[in-house]
Amino acid sequence: MALTGNWSEVFNTQPLGINGPSGAQIEVKEEATENIKVDADYSNADLKVFIFAQDHEKAVYQSLIDRFTESTGAKVTFEVTTSDEYNQKMLANKAAGDMPDIFYVGPEAVASYVDDGFVQPLDNLVDTSVVNDLWGSVGNAYRYDGKVAGTGEGSLYCLPKDFSTFAFAYNKDIFDAAGVAYPDPANPYTWEEFVEVCKALTKDTDGDGEIDQWGTANAFQWAFDAFLYTNGGHFLNDDYTKVVIDGQQEFIDAFQFFADLTCKYKVTPTVEQDTALGGYQRWLDGQIGFYACGTWDVGAFMDKNTFPYNWGLCGWPTGKTGVSMTRNGSVGFAISSDTKYPEAAAALITLFSTDLEGQRVLSGETTGASLQIPNIMSYAKGDFKAKIADGTIPYGDNVDVIFNYIEGTDKYQGIFVETNYTYNADWWSTFLGGGYEYVLTGEKTAAEYCAEIQPAMQEALDAANELKAAAQQ
Amino acid sequence: MNNVSGKRKKMKLSAMAKREEKWALIFVAAPVIGFLLFMAYPIIFAFFTSLTTWNGAKGLAGMLDRFCGFDNYIKLFGDAKFWKTLLTTTIYLIGIPIGMILGLLLAMGMNRKIPGVRVLRTMYYVPVISSLVAVSILWAWVYNYDYGLLNVIIKSLTGLHGPNWLGDEVLIKVSMIIFMVWKGLGTSIILYLAGLQNIPRSYYEAAMVDGANGFQKFKNITLPLLSPVTFYIMITTLIGGFQVFVEVQVMTTNGGIGYSAATMVYYLYQKAFESYQLGYASAIAIILALIIFVITAINFWGQDKWVKTID
Repeated sequence: MALTGNWSEVFNTQPLGINGPSGAQIEVKEEATENIKVDADYSNADLKVFIFAQDHEKAVYQSLIDRFTESTGAKVTFEVTTSDEYNQKMLANKAAGDMPDIFYVGPEAVASYVDDGFVQPLDNLVDTSVVNDLWGSVGNAYRYDGKVAGTGEGSLYCLPKDFSTFAFAYNKDIFDAAGVAYPDPANPYTWEEFVEVCKALTKDTDGDGEIDQWGTANAFQWAFDAFLYTNGGHFLNDDYTKVVIDGQQEFIDAFQFFADLTCKYKVTPTVEQDTALGGYQRWLDGQIGFYACGTWDVGAFMDKNTFPYNWGLCGWPTGKTGVSMTRNGSVGFAISSDTKYPEAAAALITLFSTDLEGQRVLSGETTGASLQIPNIMSYAKGDFKAKIADGTIPYGDNVDVIFNYIEGTDKYQGIFVETNYTYNADWWSTFLGGGYEYVLTGEKTAAEYCAEIQPAMQEALDAANELKAAAQQ
Repeated sequence: MNNVSGKRKKMKLSAMAKREEKWALIFVAAPVIGFLLFMAYPIIFAFFTSLTTWNGAKGLAGMLDRFCGFDNYIKLFGDAKFWKTLLTTTIYLIGIPIGMILGLLLAMGMNRKIPGVRVLRTMYYVPVISSLVAVSILWAWVYNYDYGLLNVIIKSLTGLHGPNWLGDEVLIKVSMIIFMVWKGLGTSIILYLAGLQNIPRSYYEAAMVDGANGFQKFKNITLPLLSPVTFYIMITTLIGGFQVFVEVQVMTTNGGIGYSAATMVYYLYQKAFESYQLGYASAIAIILALIIFVITAINFWGQDKWVKTID
């Protein structure tokens, strides 16, 4: 039900709000993009670009395209849809053999797009050395050697549109009111400490006998990873052929802890309250202490009309491994294998992905609202952080948390979740569709649910692997 | 063979008749071409797709590469999720008789000369012309556990917190049925109203002379003479009932708790657009088409027994 967003189909199961319209009003000024030039003549080229984007993102890309057209003479048709409809429309394009020249492919889809012959390698089209200045793991995510994508082996198939992460944020005003010290970004809480802090933040603030402020509120669909992987758990075996949740202590403990936050410690809204009003809305209303913060949410959270509270970033609490984990995400620009103008298309996606001026616009330096962390590492760590420090780019406290997740440290690690490595996410939807909610309500234990759902998940995974084998033939 | 020559003779038409025939053919061609292009071709295409494990790639060649015979159908019969969605879809059909009875009662009420009846008729028709997505969002709010209109009313009447309408495997179905009845009521009211107004008054006058009471008049005149309308509503709502999708997509996350609200078309959609199993999804579509065809055929076959017309 997500309206629009940056990440692809894994996120389509999200409730309204997450990844939703950021609400940030971004105005792309003429001078913001006036330095952008591409020194080439592509006046015979006629490109079609098709991506999903929110209105303010669309405006930024349109301004980049306008500059591209001005300096190269290329004709560009730019079409945008919502992330919900994107896969549906691309499937129609594929079946009709009518692919746009440039389109989005997420890390989870690289293998299938390559196997089916829809995209072409960029190795000889773009200066791949530019990728070296991008965040390391995101370049790897778009490499594929015909076996497993995302290991860093093989040709490069996309230039990243972005590299995002899903950090944790806290509402400082709620901490102040409860007299609780702010979390230390250098040392994420353990699960036990996290529960204690959440208990202190969970309150009946208006004295009517009902709880109306909670420690945290996280939708299972996108927050469970943070609890699972930090506990050393995983859904699948190493080569993604077997579902291994039944009887796996790390998994079951993480799942049970996630559920206990609701049914035992009562520091989150109940399942009923959550279906009534999602965590995102409650967080915006100032009812939640800790909440997930995607890099794309920052613009909205810094907008006082949307979120009139002070906030900072911190790490997700840590389980067995002691390392705070979350999911990283990305989507990349790919070039159709059918395009008549590969050079022009390559020049345009380079502009979208690695052009410094373009990144200045997208990361908020010239617009005052950050849509994404810059792709260019040197710029991100240099000017971008400096502009946050001097207030040019409004940002929540402790931006380093985001950098830590993206780069990985001994305390922080961002990962691509397992759906990125399987042919489709059916096994995951099977898990979600089997009634996991009953664990959150306390009607079932995590162990019971895992035992019950594993066979169906295995069936879905087998089917996906069969499809993959057929595609690779 | 005489017949053939007879036909040939018939072909010799006057210039005007020829022109007329040409135009007739053009007029007939429009719907025929439309049918071939937008109905027959997709159905045949879907059937061929259902015999493959195609994922949309490599065009027709890619499709032929992945021919698998009736594997998809065999899998479908062992697919618990498919049966679950078929059952849910069938349960939703309970709304059809409820909607028809309510529609008839309301239409009879509105068939009187009472002040404001036009406004009333318009009001009942508003849901029909409203966007399905918009009213689905609206009803998702009506059913909202904490903030929903329904639970607010329940609380003010009983003092107790109402149930979690969209968060319970049974109640979510009840909620969907109520919503669908509400959404479809306007159509059946309008149709019944038109049907009621077509019944000649003389029938009722004759019945009055014979001393029939209200219920007898309803049972022996109104109901039988409305049967063509009833038949039409039944056929169309049954076909529509098997194709429910938007409501589920908008009002539930992931098909509702434990996939309890998911319909066949919702499952089909997920298979096609989230798992890229176009072949499997097409097999579901073909089964769905068969079910609808059989039910419609049974209906037409059975109509002689109960559908009356005024001759």
